Amino acid sequence: MTSWEKALPETIRSSLESPIQLDVRGLSKVYKENRGLLATSFCVAKGELIAVVGHNGAGKSTLLKLLGGWLVPDSGEVRIDGIDLENRRALVRKIGFAPETPALFDFFSVEYNLALFARLFRIPFSQVEAVMDEFSLLPFRQCKVNFLSKGLKQRVSIGRSLLADPSLLLFDEPTSGLDFEMTNEVYVLLEKIHSSGKTILFTSHRPEEIQALATRIMVLHQGTIVFDGSPADYFESRVHQHLYS
Amino acid sequence: MIRNVAILAGNDLAIGVKNKTLYLILFIPLFVFLVLRLVDGDKADFAPVNIGLLEGENYSPAMIHGLQSAERVFTISWLPDENAAKQWLGERLGDGILIPSAAGASDCALIVLEKTSLQTVAIVESVTALQRSLEGGSGGWIAEIRPLRESKIQRQMLPTWILVLVLMVGFIVLPSQVAEEKEKKLLLGLLQTPVHEVEWLLAKVAFGMTSISIAAVLLHFLTGDGAGPDISLSYLVFLMAGGFCFSAFGILVGFLCRTQATARTLGVLFYLPLLLPSALADFSKTLNSVAPLLPSYQFYRPVKSILLEGSVAADFFVELLMLSGFGALCLLASYLLMKRRWLM
Repeated sequence: MTSWEKALPETIRSSLESPIQLDVRGLSKVYKENRGLLATSFCVAKGELIAVVGHNGAGKSTLLKLLGGWLVPDSGEVRIDGIDLENRRALVRKIGFAPETPALFDFFSVEYNLALFARLFRIPFSQVEAVMDEFSLLPFRQCKVNFLSKGLKQRVSIGRSLLADPSLLLFDEPTSGLDFEMTNEVYVLLEKIHSSGKTILFTSHRPEEIQALATRIMVLHQGTIVFDGSPADYFESRVHQHLYS
Repeated sequence: MIRNVAILAGNDLAIGVKNKTLYLILFIPLFVFLVLRLVDGDKADFAPVNIGLLEGENYSPAMIHGLQSAERVFTISWLPDENAAKQWLGERLGDGILIPSAAGASDCALIVLEKTSLQTVAIVESVTALQRSLEGGSGGWIAEIRPLRESKIQRQMLPTWILVLVLMVGFIVLPSQVAEEKEKKLLLGLLQTPVHEVEWLLAKVAFGMTSISIAAVLLHFLTGDGAGPDISLSYLVFLMAGGFCFSAFGILVGFLCRTQATARTLGVLFYLPLLLPSALADFSKTLNSVAPLLPSYQFYRPVKSILLEGSVAADFFVELLMLSGFGALCLLASYLLMKRRWLM
């Protein structure tokens, strides 16, 4: 164990006994007025379900977009399964990213959207059928994405991110704008995906909702990680009191 | 009610400024003003007529003497042969060529760019007046008038329509499509697959070139004007080179914009200045000297020459190189912007 890992809290250290899947060191992306993500370092072990929480503008989405390759970092190093993030093509099958607003071709059908990505990944069409079945999208397969509800679009987006069977999943505000019922539906889906052995990082600005779901909570405030530990520790911590009371 | 209308109108104005649509309103009058300045004005009418004569041909000495002595009205350019003379005229370096006609040494054929243009009438009137003042009313030095390009008006317009299509795909279709994919984050989504940035760029160029080819074929089919088998390969080469260059340019324009609305505006801002000076170059000496600076002219002139004068692609190797090079530069710039995820 490196000195850097020894400095981590006990809860994190124990989870790191599993092989490290994501290793982030000094990652930063700063926008105007000092917003964004300041130099950030953390590790994620295989099989963790991490909720990245924080207020709007805390840097949650920036972090996920950097990990998903949507943004180019100002500095820092990221390794996923030992592969540098700059080697995008070697990582495309290892990372699945579902953005806050589903980036789907909304003038095409659900099936077309999934089949297009399957073709680019050289995945057999049976996988598209499997994803549509798993995410209860079969009745909507011919529907244009434009006409789907927000919850269904989110399901298509999450389903698409799983097409290549990546081991690390990044979900940016997967429940943003969804009602209570649909939010629960998404959380059930996350739990199901997690139970299949995937590592998940997702963002939320409502920590109380993910208390029972996450195995680890990381709190971002003004671009810096101010808490990183278990949900139980978090809800007793001053950080929670300070940010959410 | 009036207050709300004013607020909403103000908001529309702000949107117009934000997505740069308002630039069009300012740009078009400015552009028209500039083009009108470049079109030959009154001054051009007083410029001496530049007449090309062929070295070694047997012209009437009285005519040569007359043309040389009327130096305020005519300037004479001696050209080695008929082909060189036609090229000289095609490049608008002169106003007309006098070639001794088969009928007799004193009669000449006048070759001009446009048989029915006002400029041709002016040349004929000046030469006739000179001939009358020197020889009286007998006969005339100009026995016939021939246009440089023997083709129907429909065919003469064809290169301009081809230029319109190529630029339309390049600056109206592609920038807004690229900007839409950026705006809706579809491009970022595609880059999460094994698709490489270069593959995406090449696919867009291929789309642009295919669209241009389909439109050009349709245009030829509907106008009933097919290129002959001897020039079709040259024409195809330039159509592809132009398609590549302006598709790549359009993609770059798309990358410079954050939204579709901005891309549409910027597209028009590039479209008009590239279209009009090239298409109007034949009508004005000033425009003709400005147009070669534009990449669109490097496409238009060879296509016109291939379609109307039977030239081949090899005659325009430099233009071919310039179009390909410029397209490649645009693609490189787009690639670098894409790698930086600029405005994405």
